[in-house]
Amino acid sequence: MLLTIALAATAISAQQPKRGGVFRIAEREAPGLDPHLSISFLTHSYVSLAYSQLVRFPNGPEQKSPTDFSILPDVAEKWTVSKDGTVYTFHLRKGVRFHTKPPVNGRELVADDVKYSLERFMAKSGFRERLEPVQAIDVLDRSTVRVTLKEPYAPFLNHLANPSFCAILPREAETKFRDFNNADAVIGTGPFVLKSYEKGVRVVFERNPSYFVKGVPYLDGVVLEITPDAVARLALLRSGKVEQAHIWGWLSPEEGKSLQKTNPEMVVTPTLVIGQGFIYMRTDQPPFNDVRVRRAVALAIDRKGWNDALLYGEGCLDAGPVPCALKDWKLDALKLEPAKAKYLVGHDPAEAKRLLAEAGYPNGLTIPMYHWPGYIPPWRSYYELAAENLGKVGITVELRPEEYGKYISTTALGKYDKAAMGPSTPFTDVDDFLYGRFYPELSTNQSHVADAELSKMLVAQRREMDPKKRKQIVDDIQRYLADKAYYVYVPQWPQYIAHPPSVKGFKHHDGYGLGMRLLYTWLDRK
Amino acid sequence: MTRYVLRRVALAIPTLFLVSIIVFAMMRLMPGDVVTRMVEGHAYAPTLAALRHDLGLDRPVHVQYLDWIGGIVLRGDFGNSYWTRQPILEEFVRRFPVTLELAGLTILISVVMGIAIGIVSAVRQDTASDYVGRVLAILALSVPYFGLAVLVVVLPSIYFKWTPVWTYVAFTADPLANLKIMIVPALVFGVTRAGPIMRIMRGALLDVLRQEYIRTAWSKGLSERTIVLRHALKNALIPVVSLVGLQTPLYLGGSVIIEAIFRLPGVGLFFFEALTKLDYPVVQSVNLIIAAMVVGLNLLIDLSYAYLDPRIRY
Repeated sequence: MLLTIALAATAISAQQPKRGGVFRIAEREAPGLDPHLSISFLTHSYVSLAYSQLVRFPNGPEQKSPTDFSILPDVAEKWTVSKDGTVYTFHLRKGVRFHTKPPVNGRELVADDVKYSLERFMAKSGFRERLEPVQAIDVLDRSTVRVTLKEPYAPFLNHLANPSFCAILPREAETKFRDFNNADAVIGTGPFVLKSYEKGVRVVFERNPSYFVKGVPYLDGVVLEITPDAVARLALLRSGKVEQAHIWGWLSPEEGKSLQKTNPEMVVTPTLVIGQGFIYMRTDQPPFNDVRVRRAVALAIDRKGWNDALLYGEGCLDAGPVPCALKDWKLDALKLEPAKAKYLVGHDPAEAKRLLAEAGYPNGLTIPMYHWPGYIPPWRSYYELAAENLGKVGITVELRPEEYGKYISTTALGKYDKAAMGPSTPFTDVDDFLYGRFYPELSTNQSHVADAELSKMLVAQRREMDPKKRKQIVDDIQRYLADKAYYVYVPQWPQYIAHPPSVKGFKHHDGYGLGMRLLYTWLDRK
Repeated sequence: MTRYVLRRVALAIPTLFLVSIIVFAMMRLMPGDVVTRMVEGHAYAPTLAALRHDLGLDRPVHVQYLDWIGGIVLRGDFGNSYWTRQPILEEFVRRFPVTLELAGLTILISVVMGIAIGIVSAVRQDTASDYVGRVLAILALSVPYFGLAVLVVVLPSIYFKWTPVWTYVAFTADPLANLKIMIVPALVFGVTRAGPIMRIMRGALLDVLRQEYIRTAWSKGLSERTIVLRHALKNALIPVVSLVGLQTPLYLGGSVIIEAIFRLPGVGLFFFEALTKLDYPVVQSVNLIIAAMVVGLNLLIDLSYAYLDPRIRY
């Protein structure tokens, strides 16, 4: 740990960061500010500037890659894990103080705050399943908390480190404001203090002068300029009115390339981020309960053609079940038997037709494909290409666009007929892409997979505390899944991360939060 | 006159009642379920049933309607947003000045431009200035305001590294800064709305200019300026005023997109976001308030006819 901090310090001094300046970001308005009452990445990114967690992911000079999910201390200085992996004891840093805003007024963060926050998360958050294995949270003394799990749970620390889940909140603020949606209730121990929130206009954060890590953040403040329209966000970036046109600095490949032309001075870095898109099918009902039909779908998709036509050839074709960017856990299709790998990355319309005929559909079949057309480019083209590719092998697709509210509350939760298509939430733990997508009865198991042999492996990987052994199980799962075609994955594209050259020390990290990304960011302005 | 106004106000009541029924029913016919969305995504309550009960959505539909409309009629309570739990009226009042200012400036710009070009076109019929005016009007009619707004935002950002998008400042806080922010969106919106006004103005003025009393005025030796501005214009304005009245809902509806592009925190965005989140009470109440405003405005416009044409009596 000390070594990591020392390395980080060396890296920073090499760049000689300057203090000062306000970092401006154009972004849509978050639906709320309470991190437990919203699953929106906007909410979590907004308030991650102000809150801390028990543990956190590395950022800036600390991180080895954007998907470096090693666990660093945040308000927990150190922790121990029992041999059987079920008891975690967290020792908190002493002297960590909440922001000086009423009713908390800068009091010290104590173990009771951690218990309160985790229990509130488990009671209220839409992500509460993440801490489902937690059995008890006990305060041992003012600065020690013990969390007891029902069973070993490998993703536990990853979830605690995710700013979407486990922000440490002060109880008094909820008592006074009823929840944490009120801007005055946003009182944390994080690097920035929420100073003002003008609804629909801007959110102003100022540097927390008593942040518990000395010397950071370098920025004097962060301003979120609320800009609902994507065109206006990019125009603001082009004209130098903001440092980023997205909360994480993302642009689509088209926007990125256009920006490189009009503003060659901009620093634009194509980055393969965690993300995934797929066709999902009712594998519990005909025709998709027949693996031959699913394989036919998998072989009908011309991934290379899509990549060349829409993604400038920069996409990743081998996009599932573990996303391309999650390199530590990914078993590349190249390492699989070619006979199985072809169902992940291959394109063979003749074989697809043969499989369909064998399955009893020599004249093809017609299926609906539910989707929300409003996802960012290239999704709309993806739906059309899928319909066209499937049509060529005899599967006539009736595209069924849905209104967002309907899509997100029915189709995306597995309530649809036959087939649907869309992107996945970019989770940070491999468990979410495996257990979450394939374990029976979960709403995230959009393909309604119920495979006893697979389920055993899914449970085993989340109970295995040794990362090497866990990786072996995850590899076995990927080998097992390769030719099952429960989901048919489509190419994943890079995000173009863009900011002016005056922004220094900013590194993309796939861990949702914004606060930690801006901890080491500084502005080189004259 | 008083009787007329009273009668119109009385007529507004069934109109608004119908609006309230239609909006209420339409929201409930929309696909998707607000409770599912809130529980799945936002976990305001542990179960669907608990939240449905909490929001009162487990009661019969007519009870829900009566509760909502009763709150408005009896207590002036427009309800709270399902999502933010904040009073709707408060948020509406906070945001309305932005939309009102945008609509006001837009109307001003479109009316001044439309009338001025319309007059020149009519008075100089079939001359070069008429053709230029008519081409401009057709152009303004054919360019969609949202397309023009995007061009106005994007093109200068590419070519001049500048864009007319700022952080909103209230008029009361800094009038000059506020006008700087509002003028471009109002111009974009106003120019595209000036087209129909110009065409109606030109047509109406040409009609009036051919009437007997105008010929009489000419024969009396009055100057063109006096004839057009004093004798013809007022009579020709009636269809123009009607058109502006008819366009008012468009100004409010269009504000959704203009406000989104130019970062203006107005009612349009409030309404749009509520619609996408199926926030029933917000959509219903905002709709009803705006409907009431349109009804009121139409009444004012009808009353203005009496001023424009003294022969009209109520």
